[in-house]
Amino acid sequence: MRIAIDTGGTFTDCVYEEAGALRVLKIFSTPSNPADAIVAAVKQISGARKESVEVRHGTTVGTNTLLERSGARVAFITTSGFEDTLAIGRQARPSLFDWFASPEPALAPQERRFGVVERTLPDGAILEALNPNTLPSLVEAVRASGAEAAAVSLLFSFANPAHERAVGAALAALGIPVSLSHQILPEFREYERASTVAVNAYLAPRMSRYLGEIESRLGAGHVSVMQSSGGIVAASVAAREPVRTILSGPAGGVVGAHHVAKRAGIDRIITFDMGGTSTDVALVDGVPAASHESQVAGLPVGVPMLDIHTVGAGGGSLARFDSGGALLVGPQSAGADPGPICYGKGKEPTVTDANLILGRLDPERFLGGAAKLDEARTRKYCEQAKGPLDTVEEFAEGVVRIADATMEKAIRLISVERGRDPRDYTLVCFGGAGGLHACALARALRIPRVLVPIMPGALSALGILISDVVKDYSRTVMVAPDSPDLESGFLALETRGRDELRAEGLEGVAARSLDLRYKGQGFELNVPAGKKVVAAFHEAHRQRYGYADPARPVEVVNVRSRFVASSKPVRFPKFKWQRGNAQQAIVKRHGGATFYERELLRAGDAFAGPAVLVEYSATTLIPRGARAQVDAWKNVVISV
Amino acid sequence: MKTVDPVELGLFKSAFHSIAEEMGAALRRTSFSPNIKERRDYSCALFDAAGNVVAMGDHMPVHLGSMPMSVRVAIDTLDLEPGDVAILNDPYGGGTHLPDITLVAPVYVKNKRAFYVANRAHHSDVGGMFPGSMGNAREIYQEGIRIPPVRIIRRGRVDREVLGLILYNVRTPEEREGDLTAQIGSCRIGERRLLEMAAKYGLPAVNRRMTELLDYTERLVRSTIAQLPAGEFSAEDFLDDDGAGSSSIAIRVKIRLDPKHRRAHIDFTGSDPQCGGSVNAVYAITWSAVFYVFRCLLDGDAPCTAGLMRPITVIAPEGTIVNARPPAAVAGGNVECSQRITDTLLRALAQAAPHRVPAASSGTMNNLTIGGIDPRTQKPFAYYETIAGGMGARPDRDGVPGIHTHMTNSLNTPVEALEYFYPFRVRRYSYRRGSGGIGKYRGGDGLVREIELLVPSQVTLLADRRSRGPYGLSGGSAGLRGHTVLVHADGKNDTLPGKCSVQVSAGDRIRIESPGGGGFGERR
Repeated sequence: MRIAIDTGGTFTDCVYEEAGALRVLKIFSTPSNPADAIVAAVKQISGARKESVEVRHGTTVGTNTLLERSGARVAFITTSGFEDTLAIGRQARPSLFDWFASPEPALAPQERRFGVVERTLPDGAILEALNPNTLPSLVEAVRASGAEAAAVSLLFSFANPAHERAVGAALAALGIPVSLSHQILPEFREYERASTVAVNAYLAPRMSRYLGEIESRLGAGHVSVMQSSGGIVAASVAAREPVRTILSGPAGGVVGAHHVAKRAGIDRIITFDMGGTSTDVALVDGVPAASHESQVAGLPVGVPMLDIHTVGAGGGSLARFDSGGALLVGPQSAGADPGPICYGKGKEPTVTDANLILGRLDPERFLGGAAKLDEARTRKYCEQAKGPLDTVEEFAEGVVRIADATMEKAIRLISVERGRDPRDYTLVCFGGAGGLHACALARALRIPRVLVPIMPGALSALGILISDVVKDYSRTVMVAPDSPDLESGFLALETRGRDELRAEGLEGVAARSLDLRYKGQGFELNVPAGKKVVAAFHEAHRQRYGYADPARPVEVVNVRSRFVASSKPVRFPKFKWQRGNAQQAIVKRHGGATFYERELLRAGDAFAGPAVLVEYSATTLIPRGARAQVDAWKNVVISV
Repeated sequence: MKTVDPVELGLFKSAFHSIAEEMGAALRRTSFSPNIKERRDYSCALFDAAGNVVAMGDHMPVHLGSMPMSVRVAIDTLDLEPGDVAILNDPYGGGTHLPDITLVAPVYVKNKRAFYVANRAHHSDVGGMFPGSMGNAREIYQEGIRIPPVRIIRRGRVDREVLGLILYNVRTPEEREGDLTAQIGSCRIGERRLLEMAAKYGLPAVNRRMTELLDYTERLVRSTIAQLPAGEFSAEDFLDDDGAGSSSIAIRVKIRLDPKHRRAHIDFTGSDPQCGGSVNAVYAITWSAVFYVFRCLLDGDAPCTAGLMRPITVIAPEGTIVNARPPAAVAGGNVECSQRITDTLLRALAQAAPHRVPAASSGTMNNLTIGGIDPRTQKPFAYYETIAGGMGARPDRDGVPGIHTHMTNSLNTPVEALEYFYPFRVRRYSYRRGSGGIGKYRGGDGLVREIELLVPSQVTLLADRRSRGPYGLSGGSAGLRGHTVLVHADGKNDTLPGKCSVQVSAGDRIRIESPGGGGFGERR
């Protein structure tokens, strides 16, 4: 049997198929060693069963290690004269008007940055050959530095990896993980490539220990891991290339949302996952698209990651007035401790407190009644914090509107600003707090529909369960679109891909694409390969930037190949559709709104706002004028 | 007095800012000059109907004050109709230096001119006597094509005559046309977003928010000035020379702070006369430096609007290095003098608020331009980059090494991008160890960048802090001066002056060592 397990800050969510039905198990996470919760969950689910278990994992080990800066001591090895590349970055300061800000320190400090005398040219020719006699002293220096992992990124190694391979082979003697740039990210721009490889090395020891522990504790069971790109890879690959797993969980959410929506007949969606401290949004137009220019915890990461945009606004975001009298919300958060005022400890108002004051949360029914919210306490502190506003309600409304605006800006960035009209999309909301804001956001952005999927509290795990195995390969070529080098470039990527899949006992289908730009531009657009690729590029440029210039020459920067090995499909239960009015699901009426219990809804039920839809881990607000419909898969589709 | 709705204020503040940022992103992604696409040497802004700036993207501080002046000149000179776009670069009419070309577009709502959008981008070449148009000329006529406000687009159609006139006067016309197209696209995006806002909230509401935002910024500055001590604080600092035979050039400033009335008065009287080289600053630059310094005293997310300068007066006598008059050359005023004006302001301000002001940062952008004929295409190339230096130590921590400070924040060009597109080979790019000033907190180290020219090239340098290092504060020592060496193919070395233009042979290397930042506090 196949079990998807997504580790979150509070809960570890599991989704699996049993007797033709999808089941969810939520258990508390074990942050000190996330593997404990995983092993416990697998035991609980598989019990005494004999059949072999396949575990698919969405992990936060990578993200947390980066955010907490608790990874390995990394040695960085590059072409002599460029050792500081990793630290200099792009020589720009992170904050334009703050004299006291400093950029994130490099993952390898000066004493662990090493140069090798060699030089490869843009066309792959060797200008200065690497002298093998210099390697033993390099290896010794790296050993003496106490490095626990090594990142090697030589200039132009993607054009000719010979020197990088030689350095890698020499370092193998140290018995530490060695990450080579021509394997992790064979693309030009030395800083972004070096940063990606250094992140990989930084995560490698911990990730391989962690995944190794899971594999050994689960016995011979097959373990695989969700990548940021939205595809699964074997745990052994993830252990070697952990930089590909940084957005493991959120990528599961996007895949899950995409899948559920597609089943409901919707293929253009904007995903909206609002948590306690941050909100993840992504736009899916047919298929989830990956970006190659992400930044994580202040560091560029160039491997494909689903284009997920995160903003610092969530249920726990703090509200305050600045010295000029403007109301601000976030990015500071009350976090889990002290948390919002209504949880009983915090004293500064948060978005959750504002929602409570506005009657949008049921104080008795929060987390299925597991926690009671203190409304009197919330009102008391908000009264003190409301500034020049007349009432706490007015203040709370302001807080919610500002938080909505921040999230609206995030969605605008991934839609309108990229030439996509929100009116063509459906907002898929999941995560604990999303439902309270989804309809207001949809109205502000003129998104016509909101879909609240089944299992909104475990959608990421669901996404992981249904994902295919995906492997991405790329290389910088910098040639004209009609160059014969393209074909040989693709063939090299495909040979490697087929070999690697075969080693895992899989067969895959390869899709080719190209990164193109007008010759001389600095940014590329990805277009599927084919006879009309240049015309497709002009059209993509027109769509994204409002104009195209067919007279200008076009160049190919990178060739890309994506291998997909399909997973065995998961069967989603379809329910008998019967027109109904959801009377059986009404649990109370309060403040003019009707409260419905999600569990009691039947396929075909329809009801109108103002209403509140409550379920174990989420609350959805359906405003006046909006109409909710339960579909055959028990998703709730709201026409706003 | 009508009360301001703090919710609406927060909402519109972020909405306006995100439009300016979006204009910048589009410009960066579609442009051709390395200066724009890789280095991000551009700015985008929104204006109300009166030409007051209401939002600027987080782009180039040196454009803060001068963008509004460009818009002012464009709208005073031309009666811009729907679909028109004005182009200008005249430093004596709202510009900064000739390579910075500004586009201004009106936004009409129901036949009424409601807003303006503008962007400015540093083009790699605008003609003149040096490839890259960043040399040390003697008068502005040698620096490139000078464009007064004219329409490059009339009622939605490109004026091919105006465009042709510009393109005939530059070394790399195809690249220029591509960059101008990108700038036009960026203006259209700003226009579209403002129209959407006006449609959603109504024009009167948007206008009201713009007015409130200006008042809000003014309140922020006034409350900041109110916390500073009363008094008059003077300082001076120097540019090395004008590269045309002068000795050091003084910039002198008196900052008078009046916390009681919440006002500040900045007076540059006593600064040296304008010089024979190109490091002359026009008034817009001096004004931008003051704008920048006060913006840095505000909270992190304060907007850059016209309201910020309301409580501040700036006196810069005409004909001086801080307010040059035609026909002075000005290419270096924007990049070098602007940094020194900032250094001088900070030195004065440090006396008023010693715990809030860092020691001097590198204080030069080390402008390097290289031109020649690319043998692969047989076409001229013009390359321009700036090289960062050390940041001055802060009152409570070390300065950052190898990072752009104050009036610029342009990125480096990746070595691998450079070598694909130009006949260069980069030999070294590293920190310049030990160049930061000593003190309780150390200044950041400068950088070393060494480039080998693969074909005969004209190399032009416009740099400063070659005779005086960036000052330390509170007993910290100065950072090391900058240094430039021409390493000939035969191994012979020549030290180059800060401001020069030399013809080099294939195989020669130019090595720039940028200054370190000043230290802070006595070393124990």
